[in-house]
Amino acid sequence: MKKIYIYKGFERFWHWSQALIIGFLGLTGFEIHGSYKLFGFDHAVRWHSTAAWAFLILIVFAIFWHITTGEWRQYIPTTKLLKEQFMYYIGGIFQNAPHPTNKTVYNKFNPLQRMIYLGLKILVIPIMVLTGFLYLYFHYPKFGIELDGLHSVALFHTFGAYILLAFVIAHVYLTTVTGVKPLSSIKAMITGWEEMDEAEVKKVVEEEMEVALLDIKEKFKAGAEKSDFLDEALEGVEERLGVVKRDTKFRDAIRNSGAGYFCIGRDGLYKEVNETWLKLYKYKRDEIIGKHYRLSRNEEDFKELEATVQRVLQGETINHGEVKRICKDGSIGYHTLTLSPVLINEKIECFEGFIIDTTDKHLAEKELLKKQIRIEEKLKDRKNK
Amino acid sequence: MKKLLVIILLMLLTSFLVFALKDISEEDQQPVDPPVKVNNYVYKADRNTNPRVDHSEFEILKQEFKSAHDVTAACLSCHNRTHLDVMGTSHWLWQRSEELKGKGVVPLGKRNILNNFCIGVSGSEATCTRCHIGYGYADKNFNFDEPTNIDCLVCHDNSGTYKKAKGGAGYPDESVDLNYVAQNIGTSTRANCGVCHFWGGGGNNVKHGDLEISMTEPTTEIDVHMGIDGEDMQCVECHTTERHQMAGKLYALSSENKNRATCEQCHTNTPHKDKLLNEHNLRVACQTCHIPVYAKVNSTKMWWDWSTAGRLDENGNQIHESDADGNHNYLSIKGNFVYDDHVIPEYYWFNGTANHQLITDKIDTVPVQMNTLYGSYKDKGTNGSGGVSKIWPVKVHRGKQIYDPVNKTLIQPKLWSKNVGDSAYWKDFDWNKAAAAGMKYLGLPYSGQYDFIETEMYWPLNHMVSKKEKSLTCVDCHTRHEGRLADLTDFYLPGRDRSAFLDGFGILVILGTLLGVIIHAVLRRILRKKCFFQNESIK
Repeated sequence: MKKIYIYKGFERFWHWSQALIIGFLGLTGFEIHGSYKLFGFDHAVRWHSTAAWAFLILIVFAIFWHITTGEWRQYIPTTKLLKEQFMYYIGGIFQNAPHPTNKTVYNKFNPLQRMIYLGLKILVIPIMVLTGFLYLYFHYPKFGIELDGLHSVALFHTFGAYILLAFVIAHVYLTTVTGVKPLSSIKAMITGWEEMDEAEVKKVVEEEMEVALLDIKEKFKAGAEKSDFLDEALEGVEERLGVVKRDTKFRDAIRNSGAGYFCIGRDGLYKEVNETWLKLYKYKRDEIIGKHYRLSRNEEDFKELEATVQRVLQGETINHGEVKRICKDGSIGYHTLTLSPVLINEKIECFEGFIIDTTDKHLAEKELLKKQIRIEEKLKDRKNK
Repeated sequence: MKKLLVIILLMLLTSFLVFALKDISEEDQQPVDPPVKVNNYVYKADRNTNPRVDHSEFEILKQEFKSAHDVTAACLSCHNRTHLDVMGTSHWLWQRSEELKGKGVVPLGKRNILNNFCIGVSGSEATCTRCHIGYGYADKNFNFDEPTNIDCLVCHDNSGTYKKAKGGAGYPDESVDLNYVAQNIGTSTRANCGVCHFWGGGGNNVKHGDLEISMTEPTTEIDVHMGIDGEDMQCVECHTTERHQMAGKLYALSSENKNRATCEQCHTNTPHKDKLLNEHNLRVACQTCHIPVYAKVNSTKMWWDWSTAGRLDENGNQIHESDADGNHNYLSIKGNFVYDDHVIPEYYWFNGTANHQLITDKIDTVPVQMNTLYGSYKDKGTNGSGGVSKIWPVKVHRGKQIYDPVNKTLIQPKLWSKNVGDSAYWKDFDWNKAAAAGMKYLGLPYSGQYDFIETEMYWPLNHMVSKKEKSLTCVDCHTRHEGRLADLTDFYLPGRDRSAFLDGFGILVILGTLLGVIIHAVLRRILRKKCFFQNESIK
């Protein structure tokens, strides 16, 4: 079990003061309605009004909070998994079935919750506030606008009260359903920290990172090399935070290596290359990632390479001699290379390796050979003479 | 866990801070004890009560008065224009022009109006005019233009010795020392007003319910304004008087919303520190909450059944029967009564206008509505209805009285005469003769047949205002069962009203949810346990 911070400070303050106020409004309201005697009608009326004002102030703050934090998005209704959620409550829940939806920071509510909370926010609460105001201010002829009577106002107000009461009952009950332990949801709403199993936590963390990255990406829309920039920034942050430190250094070594680095998937598509590789092949990164390595060879050499790759994918590591490469512009270069398989989850998913340019050496040797031939020819000529 | 506690504490604190603040401000609003802040009124303690004039020093009042008229003449010799004022008042004229809905402007007053007590003055003036501010109003031919017919003393006697003779057409009793009275006159006191307004209908507290003998010297328990242990206010301090025109409307006789004596004239229409209470004043009269009960000392008449009158004992003598409290419940001349004390008012919407069942009006409702108080929840005083309708406390006097079943009108019987054989019912006990004589006196038709019909008469309450601690509380009306306003059903009253359908629906929803939750929880427990064991065994 891991704990994760889901409910923010204001959110919790809002939730509990709202609960308190609505509870108090209910208590006093039903006394005014004549359902029972508790505080005395006089006090009930006065306190009901006071609590209503407190509630209104809270609503104003809550609306502000929802808008500025973007939390209002939590209430956008969705039908995705709505049925599943419902079926879970009336079926799966009894058989210890897994919860069909996960609670995350950016998706706190399941589809059913979204629907019901939205209904409360845009229907029930507004009706209660509106009829409440009519009740308070328009029952006597004071403002020009008059009511013919309180009858309809009172009916709507009372109706809303019953709906809210029913909601509270179901709401409180369902808190015992969803948590790890019966009271853990309530505890989470008090402390902000929700208990979850590790898989769930992982999902939450990933999502938070995703959202954060997307956010940052939004902010740097213009940059052409944004992915580079982001990768570097991310690695920098990771290092500073002490996450995957060793790994980063190792990666840097590869990145800045004078040897060309490449990583090719099982499917033969380039997954990653470094700057030196790009220089040697005269490609830009965007032009090569996702392309097949066939591009870099002529027909003959490709067949040979394919055979080698097959061996690597079987698990062999190969130090290859000089090969001929075809650059982007069609020119030809030479290099030696290594090939080694990459294991992901105990399976060979791709292979990587380094190339060391030998074009100059190759040309020099060629030149030397030419010279030698020429000398030999000359010597032959002399002999013949 | 510590953090958790801190958060909970923080939330509770902030939430209760709001209420705490509210409570503090409420404590500030606790009404201070008297003096209550009022307009247009000088407190007793701040008043100079020395009389401006000592009438005992005037020579003209030391003469031997031969008749009551001479006293009036003496008064008018100084107050030599005052009769013009007095003779324009309803106290003198016993009528004025008032508009009645559907009947136009009609002369209305004690001269012609009927009630369900002693029915009307016509034909019996000589006894009824004991309460007229004049001398000699013995029949309809009384001269209302003669200044010396005015009785100044009945209202201005401060000696407490003046009284009018029984059946004497308004003349003083023989026992009265006119000199003594004339030298001891002053502003009208509760006793002056009370001698008529407490005794209307032929006995103490018969009519109003909130005006009776105990109000001469009431305690503040009985009436917070007039209580002698408090401000000791006189009638005229609210019924403000300008040149003998007194403010105040009695809807037993009036119909228009004008010249009323109101609470607001001193207390304003926002008398409470509390906004919520002040708001009530928009549709609830002050009287409704502040006169929770009337007839606080002596009983008032609630029911008068004329149809049983005329029963005599075997010797032909009149019968007097009383109830356990000593109130009459049968008199041969008047029939059966029901008296009650500490009566809880009935409540009606009232906009300040009223109608009356005139003797010429056809009877179209049973019980006959002697006077109708207009008003409804929907009447907000916008379409010339008078004022905004407010909920008022009302004494409703019910009874049975004589009517003409053929002509479908009420009957004015002749009730009183000094002599037997004059067709007066109280002497001859013959309804037919009394009815014929009374209607003939008025020049109105009588079919020769009579019967008795139920009637109702409405008396808005204004007096016997209780101390604020005794005024109504919220739940006297805002309650589901047997509230004071249980019968006023033309509007939605929070705490009283509800939709049984909606409540049924609501309870179903709540119970349904609870049941669903319980079933769900139980199923979860049972099925999961099973699952759990299965999983165990697999492992």
